[in-house]
Order: sequence, then structure tokens, then C-alpha cells
Amino acid sequence: MSENRQVAVVGGGLTKFGVRAATWAELAQEAGEALFRSVPALEASAVDSLFVGAAEPERFAFQSHVAPLVAEQMGLAPHRIVQRNELACASGQSAIRSAYAAIRAGLSDVAVAVGVEKMNIPSLAEANSAMACVLDRPWDAAHGLTAPPFFAMVAQRHMLEHGTTEEQLAAVSEKNHRFANANPVAQFYEKKFDREKLLRLPLIAPPLRLGDCSSMTDGAGAVLLVTQDRVRDYTDTPAWIRGSGQYADFHNLANMESLTDWTGLTRASREAFRSAGIGPKDLDFAELHDCFTISELIEYEAIGFCAKGEGGKYAADGRTDIGGEIVVNPRGGLLGCGHPLGATGIAQAVEVSQQFAHQVEASRQVPDPEWAMVHNLSGSANVHSVMIYQRGG
Amino acid sequence: MTAMAEVTERKAQKNRKRRAAASTAPPSTSPPATGPPERLPYLLDLYPVESSTQTRLTPFFEALQRGRFTTTRCRKDGKLLWPPRVVCPICHTAELEWVDLPSTGRIYAFSAILAGAPVGQEGDLPRVVGLVEMDGSPLRLFGRLLGIDWRECRIGLPVRVEPITLPDGRTFYAFRVIR
Ligand SMILES: [Zn+2]
Repeated sequence: MSENRQVAVVGGGLTKFGVRAATWAELAQEAGEALFRSVPALEASAVDSLFVGAAEPERFAFQSHVAPLVAEQMGLAPHRIVQRNELACASGQSAIRSAYAAIRAGLSDVAVAVGVEKMNIPSLAEANSAMACVLDRPWDAAHGLTAPPFFAMVAQRHMLEHGTTEEQLAAVSEKNHRFANANPVAQFYEKKFDREKLLRLPLIAPPLRLGDCSSMTDGAGAVLLVTQDRVRDYTDTPAWIRGSGQYADFHNLANMESLTDWTGLTRASREAFRSAGIGPKDLDFAELHDCFTISELIEYEAIGFCAKGEGGKYAADGRTDIGGEIVVNPRGGLLGCGHPLGATGIAQAVEVSQQFAHQVEASRQVPDPEWAMVHNLSGSANVHSVMIYQRGG
Repeated sequence: MTAMAEVTERKAQKNRKRRAAASTAPPSTSPPATGPPERLPYLLDLYPVESSTQTRLTPFFEALQRGRFTTTRCRKDGKLLWPPRVVCPICHTAELEWVDLPSTGRIYAFSAILAGAPVGQEGDLPRVVGLVEMDGSPLRLFGRLLGIDWRECRIGLPVRVEPITLPDGRTFYAFRVIR
């Protein structure tokens, strides 16, 4: 057994994120174009395994069995493992985790993890139905539960319990949109939002406004993961996977212990830190799951960047901005880049790879980063998935 | 019989008449020209299946029709389980029993859906929803809040479980703010 094999992300690429005039399958083809462009040394025949992160192709594109579809669209012929990964909003990271596990176990040497989601369809109500059935469909969603009212209740309780304000929420949105303004693949590339403008946007689910919510987004991406012996074939700046953790603890809202204390994330990140041998203060940046502004604030607290209840102040004081203690979401986050469910986790890993290689736009480059965390929540924050990367080279 | 039970008994009678009428009516060859369909396509319908041909939880809906709000409890460890289940997740026995839940509670958190409704709910906005702490019970249940404008809604307001009738005659529930 080669149980101590190290695994690295050695490159990856993304499609343009946004409202795209492209089908699900066409986005998968674009992900292939982006991957082979960003890793020039990659030959399709070298890829032994394929993991496809896709949350709801059955709903948004009326298509199942998407792993072989992606193989065909990208021109891959995996001969060891081929599978689809579904974990709602965390499907992309789930694909990466499975590729990581397979390589670490010696079952794969060169694997591609792909994320594809097509969410902007002509029937908005059907798209909303797709999002509703991520939750406990008959017992919660039937009453009207979707993500916005859920995270609105989280925000309401955080405001009540800790004094968090709408202005502090807007500070998160302003920061992430500002980074997205410099990221050409972002849905909100070059679309400016200052805090005053954000606070005037319409309410979606009070107290959350349009600028507090990530968007329905079409997009795709792919990353290449390889075993340690193959890293030098592809890059001089590998992103080594050093730690991971994941936790699931409820599904129906009645079984959620606290709206504002995300203990599942505390557990998942502790496990990831333990396996990486570092702590929160060692991180240079983090790609956190800001599906809503309130999510990012609670994630600071649950991971341990700041004390319980102080997430709002931590953001408003600029502690997670460039020049602060830890840069959070220099990519532009889900708020600024959009949130094509299966592709989001892939995009976060591409960001880690490009930050380590100093390949991102200067205004959002983290100074000399060595350690990065990627986090996704899924559903009603009932699952948390965390990975920790270290720059090699 | 509680006030809630009286209201639901009247509704249940109406439903029985309606279903009886539907079963004797000649088969319809085209959908009605106006109004929402009685039932969405099966895989766009958010509400629980109630028919005993599809679920083992039909007693929940039968009790609801009689004005009783119930769930399952484990006979072995006494754990109150929500939503109703067929196997206890603690001790994995199938020996569960139906028990009454409180029919009143207080709002713990709420919001309103002002945009972004799924199929079947688009014409029914704004929709006030919230988590309700059930009186004298550890349960905090999510549901629609009836009888209140979201701008006037407050944490702590008392609510009562109210059975509601879906367009196709199935029974579900919501919470009504007690004035
Ligand atoms: Zn039990």
C-alpha cells in the first residue's frame, strides 16, 4: 500500500461565470478547453480517473448519468474511476475530495475533477423548485423554505444575539464584489457596488437584500490532481492537499441545534487543521462559502478567525481584506463570482492554485501565500466541507 | 373538541364531499381554461405524499384531518422524532408510536419570501415563514406563518397549528398567529 502518497492540484481552468447562452454540455466542453489551456503539458490519455461535481443536472438540464457525458464532452477516456459527485452547493469540492482520496489510496495517479452547473433556464420558477428540493422537501420546502429565507433567519438571530448590523453584512458584500471586479471570469466582473448602493438594493428575504445573496449562475471548471511522482510533469507551483475535514449533522431544520453556532464547521475545520498540522492563524487566505453575507461572518467565528459573535465587526474593520490578518475570498466569493453549484468548489481550487503561482490580478493577489483553506457549506449549512492547501515549489 | 379540531372537521367534511363528487364526475378531456391545476406534475409537487400506497406515514395526515397534530416517538428510548419516521435513528428499532404534539408555540425566527418562489407558489407572495418553538416541547418546527404581514411580525408572537387543504384535497399544516 502507498498510503502516504501526497496529492497536489497542479492546475485548472474555468469558463466565464454568469448568465450564459450555453447548454450544460456546452459548458462541460468549455471546461475542457479551459483545463487543457491552463495545463499545456496535459495529454488526455494520461487521465486515468474522472470525478464530476454536478448538483442538479436532472432538474436544470433534464440529464442524468453525467459522468460519461462529461468524459465525451471533454475528450477523456477514464479507465480507473469515473463517477459523479453530488453534495448540492459542495458538489465541486466533493469531486476534488474523491479524486484526492483515490490518488492517496493508490487507485489513481492522474485525475480530473470537474464542476458543471446550468442554472439560468427560461422557467425561473422551475429553477427555484430545483433549489427548494435541496432542503427537506416535503417537511420544510413545502412550507416555502428555500435558501434565502433560511439564511435570513440565521441573520435575524445573529443580529438579535450579537448585535450584527446590515452595514456589517454590506461590508462583506462590498469586499467580495470589489475582488470580483478584478476577476474576469466573475459574474459581477466590473460591476461596482459601494456600501450605500448595497443597502439600497431591494429586499429578497428580510433582513437580506439582493446584495446579500449569491446568484443563479451558469459555469463550469476543471482541475488536475496528481500523485507526488507526477507533479513535476505539470507545474513548478503545486498546491499540496495537506488536510481535510467534513461534517454532516442534520437535514430537517427541527434537528439543527443552533442557527448561529455552526458546530459542524468547527468540527470539520478542526479535523482539517489537525491533519495539516497548522491552526487558523497560519492561513494566508481562505476561500469561504459566502452564499450569503451572513454565512461568511459566522464562518469566521466557527473556524476561529475571531471570537463568537464578533464576525460582523471583524469584517467591517477590514481584518479579512488585503492587508488584514487573513484575506477571505480574494477570488470574489460566491457573492461576486456567482454560484454555479457544482462549479464553485472547482473555482475555489483554481483560485488557490493561481494565488500560489502569483497568476491573479495584482489588486487581489495575496502577498506571498503559503497556506490556504477552502470551505463549502451545503444546503442549510447542515454539511461543511473543508480542505487545506500548502504551496509547493 | 378543540377549536382547531372543529375547524378541521368542517374542512374534512368539505373535502370528503369534494372527492366524492370528483369520483362520480365524467372524466375530463381537457384542463380547465383558467385557474391553477389541482395538482402539479408529481416531481414538481413539494408537498408530502399522503397515500398509503406510497408512504407509511399516512396516519399523520389522517390525524391532521381530525385536528390532531402528531409525530412518532420511540417506544424504547422515548425519543420524540421529527419529522415522523418509521425507524428510530438512535436505537434503530421500528417500534415507534404516534403521539400528540402541542398545537401552539411561539415564533423563534422568521422571514418572508418576497421573490424567488418555486412552481405553485409564485402567485402567493409575500409568504411569511418562520421557526416556531412548540410550547412545552423541545421541538422547533419550520412552517408558513398565516394571518400576519411580515412588517408586523415579531419574534415571540404566539401561533397555533392550522391544518390546511391543498387544491387536490390533501391535508397539510401551517401556523396562524394568535391575535
Ligand atoms: Zn429509539
